[in-house]
Formats: sequence, C-alpha cells, structure tokens
Amino acid sequence: RQVTCPLSAPGVILGLLFLSMTATSKCLGKYHELLLQLRRQADLMQDTSTLLDPYIHIQGLDTPGLKEHCRECSGAFPSEDALRGLSRQGFLQTLNATLGLVLHRLTALYQDLPEAQQLVGLNIRGFRSNIHCMSQLLRSSSEAETPEPTQPGPGPTPPPTPPSDAFQHKLKSCRFLHGYHRFMHSVGQVLQEWGESRSRSRSRSRRHSPCRAPGDTALARPCRGGARKMWPFRRDRRLMPRGQLPR
Amino acid sequence: MAVFAVFQTTFLLALLSLRTYESEVLSEPLPLTPESLKVSVNSTCQCLHLQWTVHSLAYHQELKMVFQIQISRFKTSNIIWVENYSTTVKRNQVLHWSWESELPLECAAHFIRMRSMVDDARIPKPGFWSNWSSWEEADAQNMLGHDPLFVFPKDKLVEEGSNVTICYVSRIHQDNISCYLEGVQIYGEQLDRSVSAFELKNVSFIREKGTNVFCKVDQGGVLGGIVLFVSKVLEEPKDFSCETQDLKTLTCTWDPGSDTGLTKQPSQSYTLFESFSGKKTLCKHRNWCDWQVAQDSQETYNFTLLAENYLRKRSVSILFNLTQRVHPMTPYNLLPKNVGATKATMTWKVHSIGNNSTLLCQLELLAEGKVIQQSNVSIKVNGEYLLSELEPDTEYVARVRCAYTNHFWKWSELISQKFNTAEAAPSEAPDVWRNLKMVSGHPTVSLFWKPLSKVHANGKILFYNVIVENLDKPSRFEVLSIPAPASSTELTLDQCSYQIHVTAHNSVGPSPASVIVVSGDPENEEVEKGRVNGTEDGFSVSWKPQSGDATGYVVEWCDGPQDLPCVLQWKNLGPNTTSTVISSGDFRPGVRYNFRIYGISTKRMAHLLEKKAGYLEELAPSDNPQVVMSKLTSHSFTLSWKDYSTESQPGFIQGYHVYLKPKAGEQCHPAFEKTVLPEDSVCCKYTIDNPEQKTFVVENLQPESVYEFIVTPYTSVGEGPLDAFTKVTTPDEYSHTLIHIILPMIFCILIVMIICYLKSQWLKEKCYPDSPNPYKSSVLSLIKSKENPHLTIMYVNDCVPDAIEVINKPEGSKIQFLGTRKSPTETEFTKPACLYLLPTEKNYSGPGPCICFENFTYNQAASDFASCGHFPVTPQAPPHQLGPLTSPENLLKALEQNYMNSLGEIPAGEANLNYVSQLASPTSGDKDSLPTNPPEPALCSEYKMQTAIPLGLASAPPSENSSLSSTTLLGQGEHCR
Repeated sequence: RQVTCPLSAPGVILGLLFLSMTATSKCLGKYHELLLQLRRQADLMQDTSTLLDPYIHIQGLDTPGLKEHCRECSGAFPSEDALRGLSRQGFLQTLNATLGLVLHRLTALYQDLPEAQQLVGLNIRGFRSNIHCMSQLLRSSSEAETPEPTQPGPGPTPPPTPPSDAFQHKLKSCRFLHGYHRFMHSVGQVLQEWGESRSRSRSRSRRHSPCRAPGDTALARPCRGGARKMWPFRRDRRLMPRGQLPR
Repeated sequence: MAVFAVFQTTFLLALLSLRTYESEVLSEPLPLTPESLKVSVNSTCQCLHLQWTVHSLAYHQELKMVFQIQISRFKTSNIIWVENYSTTVKRNQVLHWSWESELPLECAAHFIRMRSMVDDARIPKPGFWSNWSSWEEADAQNMLGHDPLFVFPKDKLVEEGSNVTICYVSRIHQDNISCYLEGVQIYGEQLDRSVSAFELKNVSFIREKGTNVFCKVDQGGVLGGIVLFVSKVLEEPKDFSCETQDLKTLTCTWDPGSDTGLTKQPSQSYTLFESFSGKKTLCKHRNWCDWQVAQDSQETYNFTLLAENYLRKRSVSILFNLTQRVHPMTPYNLLPKNVGATKATMTWKVHSIGNNSTLLCQLELLAEGKVIQQSNVSIKVNGEYLLSELEPDTEYVARVRCAYTNHFWKWSELISQKFNTAEAAPSEAPDVWRNLKMVSGHPTVSLFWKPLSKVHANGKILFYNVIVENLDKPSRFEVLSIPAPASSTELTLDQCSYQIHVTAHNSVGPSPASVIVVSGDPENEEVEKGRVNGTEDGFSVSWKPQSGDATGYVVEWCDGPQDLPCVLQWKNLGPNTTSTVISSGDFRPGVRYNFRIYGISTKRMAHLLEKKAGYLEELAPSDNPQVVMSKLTSHSFTLSWKDYSTESQPGFIQGYHVYLKPKAGEQCHPAFEKTVLPEDSVCCKYTIDNPEQKTFVVENLQPESVYEFIVTPYTSVGEGPLDAFTKVTTPDEYSHTLIHIILPMIFCILIVMIICYLKSQWLKEKCYPDSPNPYKSSVLSLIKSKENPHLTIMYVNDCVPDAIEVINKPEGSKIQFLGTRKSPTETEFTKPACLYLLPTEKNYSGPGPCICFENFTYNQAASDFASCGHFPVTPQAPPHQLGPLTSPENLLKALEQNYMNSLGEIPAGEANLNYVSQLASPTSGDKDSLPTNPPEPALCSEYKMQTAIPLGLASAPPSENSSLSSTTLLGQGEHCR
C-alpha cells in the first residue's frame, strides 16, 4: 500500500481549513485550563449514552444476536497506541481531522438521531475549537526554537459508501458510533497523560512523521469484506527543545 | 446470389400474403408463436418482467390473442405458475407482462415459457395453441456478491397485516443457520440445499426504523439480515370539512389518523381536488389545507381529499355551498364602558365578511364561572350592549362570539373581557351576638359579628362602628371604630342596660345597624338542661317556645372541644322557630358540644332558655379513671375515682364497670356477673349504673389472696380499655390484731431506749464512772463524814517505792471464792498472791494479811493483759459473779464495787493505817486471816496506778508524771518474789 507523505496536498488543505475555521475564535491562553477543558470534553464525548445507546435502541439493535455485532471495526479509528505515538501537534491535527470526518458522518445520521446528532455536532465543534487553540498555544511556544514540521492531514474525505441495504446501514452506523466513543476514550487517555507527564516531559520532545495511507477510508468501511485499513501512525518520536510549553 | 435472395424474399412474402388471405377468406386460425421472449428481474418489487412480440401477424392486422405463461422454479419441471394473458396484438408489437413472486427472486432461479392462441371473434373456429417458446431463465443469484450469507428481500415495504416470505441463500452450505425476527427465532422451509424460506404472517408495525430480520451461522460470526419496513395501514381522512372566515379563503381540515411514515416511506401526502374547477393543490400540512376561493363567484364546491403513500390511496369528498360554510373570525376590542355599581356597557368589533354582511353576536355575562346573562345582538362592524342588574363590587366576565346571519354554520371563537362593578354601601346589617361575663367584678360583654357576605358587603368593608348607648342614661353614647377584618370587641359595662349598634362601613357608606341590648345583671344559668343527638347532618336542636313575645331565637355553641379556646358560633332563628339543625364542618366525633338557646325579647335583649349537650357521635371512653384503693382488709377494699370528670369524655358516661379477677377457683360474688375478657380470661364484673357514683367497696374477699381489678367507664357505645388491671393482696386475718399489739410495744421500748440514752451519763456517773476521782470518790465523802482528820489521800507521786515484804503463808490459806468452783483461769489467778490488808467486811474471814493495790482504772486492753487477774472480791460474792468478770466492763464494775465496798466498810477505828498505801505488807496478825492460799503459793505484791487511761492510749507511752510509776511498776509487771 502506498503511503503518502506529511506534505500531501489533502493534508495541507485540511490543515489550512482547520486553522482558518477556528482562527476567529478567542482562545484561552492558559495551557492547563485548555487541557482540562479538552479532557472534560473528551470525557463527555466518550459517553455512549449520548449517541450509541440511543441509536441502538431506536434501530432495534438491542436484541441478542445483533448487539454483539455492533463493535468497532478495527482500524476505523486510530488506536490509542497510535495516538500515543504521535507528537502533540500531530495528535491534535489527527484529532481534528478525525472529528471532521465524524461530523460528516453524523450528518448522514441526522434522520436516525436528529436531536442527539445536533447536540453531539455542537460538542464536536466546540472540541475542535479547543484543539485549534491548543495547537496555537503549542505552536507559538515552539516557533522560536524549532519550526514545527508540517502536520499531516487525515487524508481526503472519502465519499461515504452508499449502504447496500438498510440492515447493513444500521450495523455500519452502529459500529461507527461505537468506534467514535472508543476513539474519544483514547483521546481522553492521551490527554490525561499530557497532564501527568508535564514535568517529566519538559526535557523531552517528540519527533513525528505521521505518514499514513492515502485515502484512508476506514471510517466508512465495513468490518468485513475488502481490505481493512489501519491508521498507520509512526511511533518514532522526536525530542522537543527545552523551554517548550509544558505538556 | 443476390438475385436468388431477392427471389426468395419475394416468394416468402407472397406465401405469407397468400396465407393471410387464406386466413381471412377461409377463416382458418393460424399458430402465432410468441417470439423474442425476454425476462428481467425487478428486485424492488420482486417482479419478473416479460416482453415479447408476435412477428407472424400481417401488416395492420390486430388480433385478440391469449398467451399462456408458465413459470417454473429451480427447474423447468417445477411449474409454480400458469396464467393466460389475453390482449390485442399488432404486428411487431412488444408485449409486456409482469409477475410478482412471493418468494424473493434472489433465492431461486425461475424459468418462463409461453405459447399463444388466437382468440378473436372474427375467427369462429376454435383456435389451437402454438408451440411453447423455449424456457427463459431468470436467475437473480448471479447478481449477488461473495458474501457467505444473504437474506432477502432487502428493505421490503409492506403494510401491517401482510404476509411476507423471506429467504436466505447460504454459500457456505451449512445447515446450522438460524433466523430471527426481532431477536425471536423463526422456523421455515428448506427449499434447496442452500436456500430456506420463512413465511411471516400478519406482520405488525414495530418501529419506524423497520423490523429487523437476520440469520446467522451458529457459532460463527457470519451474519446476514434485512430490514422489513412494515407500514401502518393508511386510514381514510376523518371529519373532513371546509369553511371560510372571509369568503375569500377556504380552509379544509381533517383528522389524518395514523402517520404511516417510515425510513423507507415518507408520511402520507394529502392532495385537495375540486371537481367543478378541476383544480388541485398538494397540502403542506397533514391535517389542514387552504384553498383560494375563485373570483368568479363559484358558490358550490366539490372537494376530494386524497391521501396516499407508497402502498395505498384513500380519498374522501364533500360538496357544499360556500355561503353555508362561513365561520366568522373572532371578534376583537371587547371593552367595558361606563361601569357603575349595577350597570356596564360592553363594546366590541367584528371583521366584515363580504359587503354589507350582518353578523349575529352573542354576548354572555359570567359571574363566578357561570353564565348569568345572555343576549343576542345583530351588528355589521361595531357592537354595543348595556348590561344591567349587576351586583356592586363584583367581578364579571363578558364574552362575545358571532355567527354569519345569512346562514348559521358556526359560532366564531369567543373573546372574553373581565371587569369589576363599582362598590355600593353594604346592604345588610352585620349579624351580631354577645357573650356576657364578669371580669374583676365588672360585667363585660364580648361582641361578635360575622363578616358580611360578598353579596351584602357591596365592597371591601373598611371598619365597623360600635355605638354603645346607656339606656338608663340616654344622653351617654360611646362610639368605637374597629378596623376590618376584626370581628369582635370587648366592652366593660356597669350594672346599667345598654343598647349597642353595630354597622359595617365600606368606601361608599355604612350598612344598616344591628342592634342588641345587654344588661349588666348576670345571666340566669338555672335553666333546663338536656341532651341533643348528633346526626350526619349535624345537631338537631329543639326548644320550648318562649311564653312571652319573642322576636327570635339564637342558638349559641362553641366549635371546638371544651379544652380548647371557644370559637363562639351562633345561629339566628325566627320567632316561630323551635328547632333547627346546627351543622358545622368543625364538629368531630367524640367531642361534647354544649348549646345554649336564647330567646330575643322585643327589647332586643337575649335570655337564656335552655342548655343542651350532645355528641356528633359518641365514642367509647379512651381512658379509665385513676382509681385509689383504700381500706384494705382481709376481706374487702374500697375503690375511689372521685377525680374522674364525666364532662370531658367522648360520650355520655352511663356508669362504670368494676372488673375483679378472682383467685383461681373462686366464684364470683353474687353481685358480680361472670364475664370473659377479650384475652379469654374469666373475670367478675360489677356494673355501676350511676355515673356520679365514684366509689365502690369490693367485699367478700379471701384473706391472703391476690386480686386484680380495673374500673372502666362505659358509654352507649362501649366501655374503656381493659388493659391495666391493678393487683391487690388481701392481708391475713390476724395481722391486724397483731399490729395493734406490737406497735404500742415497740413504741414503749423506743421510749425507754430514748430515756436510757438521754440519762446514760447520769447512769454512768452513778453506776460505773470511767475514772473514779479520789476527790469525788464516795470514799472521800465517807471519810469526811467520819470527820477523821487523819484520813487523807496519798498520792502516788509522793510515795517512794519501797520494798514490801510479803509473808507467804501457804498452809490453810485459800481464797474463799476459789473454794467451790474453779475454772482454768482461776488457777492462773492464784499465782500472784494478794495481800488483803483491808478486810471488806467485819465478819470477813477471807485472807486478811494480803495487801492488794488494785488500779481500778484501766482500759479494756489493759484488762486483757492484766497479769494479776485477781482482784478483791467480797467473800460473799457468789461464784457466778466470776464469769462475767472476764469482760472488761464487768471486771471494772466488779472491781469498783469491791473497791468501794472495801473502803466503805473499813471501820475508821480499826484502821491501823492512816493512809492508803500502795505498798503494804501483811501484818503478822493477819496471817491467820488468810484462810486459803493459792494453789501455787507465791509472794505477791501488786501495784497498779489509779490513773484513767483513755482507751485509745492504752498502749501509748505514758506521760512524764506517770512514767515513773508505770515504768517502774507496770514495766516490770508483777513484782513477785
């Protein structure tokens, strides 16, 4: 499988979009407050009662034999290990890109969960705004010392594969929501480590080379049938110069 | 070659023309075989679509033909459907025919063939079938992917109550595949090695998101499923009607019934169609739709409302005249005008309908939610109506609705407006009553009045005026103004008569006065008393009519129990009334209510006529009296409960029951009756039927027996609780007598003991002084009495101890007191020989020559180790006196006595010593006076101090003065030689 480089055009475009989208918002200048806000939001978004549970109930998937098929497809979302292996900037950009895809997918679920979808959409937008602020904060502190490498975009947004039938659509959406909550849980874990590893990671920095497969459409793919795609994040880290913002 | 081809074509055409000609002329049927048969599968509707042509027809020829179609499943021999399809056929016309399969087409291959026959009336002879076309196969399985398990039909939309066949196609050829409908396993029929079908009958609506049906391989992750969209059955619109508010727009409404919307199917749509104009409109709302009235004065409309969804259409129609469906708009600007105490004018406006249309408006007046006036007014645009006969200071609601006058169809919506009429002076005097009592010797009247009802107050009462007029001194008035909402006041009067006027005032003026006359004289309380029975409606109180002229009666009572502050209540009654029912929501069962009936004289003075007491409902007593038991004897005791109040009980006390539990086996006294208590114990019961008898003597009891008793009051409902019996034990018969004897004896003994105690010092001084003072000694007095100047007292300190020669005279010297009886101790006493220098009696024949100085003042401790142990004893002392001497007191007594006796009995003339020496030796002449000797003859001289030693100092070191003697003498113990 071909691997795109961080400077791929879709990544740059999405990165620019990400910056422009949130450039007008007012950011908190305090790292810890921002981190705390992000963690709280991640905790809120990992709660399955906001999306997955109502979806399962409305669709009638809460029956024996079906519920166990409502599991995240491996590779649909970045794993916790993959997230942990990213640099902070890389993590934030990946998070932002992934949530962009989630928003896109949630739009398709509007008919199924009109109220929850709206609420979760607002949460995601707020979360992305805070991601932007955190990214700015990190970038401003590291600009003077080490230029931040160009962050990769999450790849082009694949057109959602039209569901073959309603049954498959239900299962796919259910798996997607399951993966989304799991992903937010992982995000929360990583953010937790940011707070914990602040002191000991002052002297460390991470180098990242977040290359990934082009056109990764794992979010829209079923668990079976066809090749499964993982989120190939490199685990190599680079050392950050001293004096950078606390992590 | 080309020439040959042209020729051949021409020949065939000629032949066909010839045959056509022959068929027309000869009317012979021709076999016209269907050709170009094509079969396609439509998965959405699970339909097989056939198309074919009949080439054999002549040009411009139309024939009515019948096509027989056969459909086989899985294999050509398995024919599942045969149908004849009749149609008119033209040459080269493409014919179509569809067939809907119950079994999803993806689950099985289908084979189709057909044949035809001319069925035209122009050909009289019976036709015959053409040859069958070749089998055409329709196999939708080829379109499936590579999944191991498929379930069909996908996303099928059916109506509730339908029967649906589903099937699965398995590519893994396993037979352990289970299928479930909403989690419940379903069972079907295996059609093929890899195909099974399930028939779902009468499917029901479960949710908008569809019914989930899935199949899975047991113990494997393979899953296939479908969503079956079951729609509710589209209902016919109900209550479809149209109306207009302004003759310009028609609004049609209906009840749509259930929503049939699903994920697969939008909600049903509604289309309004008008047949006369041919117009239609798609309604935007599911239960109403607007229709613009045409400008061409169309009066009659025929509307059809069409409801449809993917599965069904339903319609309903109405025909009406536009002017008969006018529903005017709600009037507006309804306002009160010129509002007075009893009148008000209401004005309002209406929306005009067309030109010069008249509306009939209905004005309603409501008070307290009830319609009290209703009026109809015809207006064009502005309405006005005068409301009269209103109550002052009352809130009213006026409401108006209007209808089209030309043809009544419906009232418009109501418009309402509240307004209040103005106040007026109170129309009725307040209801006043009084209560007379003496406070600190002064007659005091408490005035009470009831608030005026809203009807009579005519406004907010601001204050009450009380005018007190002294009837005995008419010129004296006293005016009190009491602000509302007070409802009582208190006046202190004197013995005069007073007329009291009470008026209520609001912002407009006063009410008529209520007049009452009171006198300072106390009321006559000695009136007839009676009882009154309570019912569900209250107390029915009746009284005897007053003999004189009575202008009315008043019944007075307190609402609360007697132990609570009285909330005085009263009821005014007419002069001809002698009974009434007193009802109150505050009356409670088990509470005694006292009623007082007053007659009102012509002078407006009230006189107490009767007193009544009653219970709304009598109850059994809840408590028993506190019983005091007295006069307990072996055969009776008395019970008394005089503190028990019968007035404050939950019923009229009719008497008391005295329960007595006898001892086992004892029978009840004849006055008692035997009864069984609730706990099944037997008891004797005595009934006291006089509630004022509050003592009872229980008699005929057995002595020394335990009885239990309880006294419980009873009312007409029942008796008090039988829960706490009191135990009593009767005494024996003689204890009483014994008490009469023993008590005085004890008393006497006590008196003696007290006297003895009080005189103990005296006795002691007289009988046994602790330390015989020589100066106080009787010996001294004896000496003095003898007036012998040679006799004096020798002090120890003045003496110089000297040797005493003791002559032992063993033979025949035996102490007399040792003669008859000897105890083991006596033998010890005999060791120190005493020198009896002073004979105690003249005729003393005892051991005279022994001189013995005995210290008679020593304590008990000293006595214990007195080594001497012998003492002067009168020779006549009986032997029995020796026993008690072992105790110190007795010893002291004995010593003292002997000592005194010795001194006292010494004759002055015979004494050859003028001092009482502490040392003495027996004279020779006294040798014979020693009649007996101790068993062990020993020379004994004994010296003992005559100094009182406190008991506690018995072992303490002696004082300096006495140390010499004690050290010298006592320290050496006995000076025996």
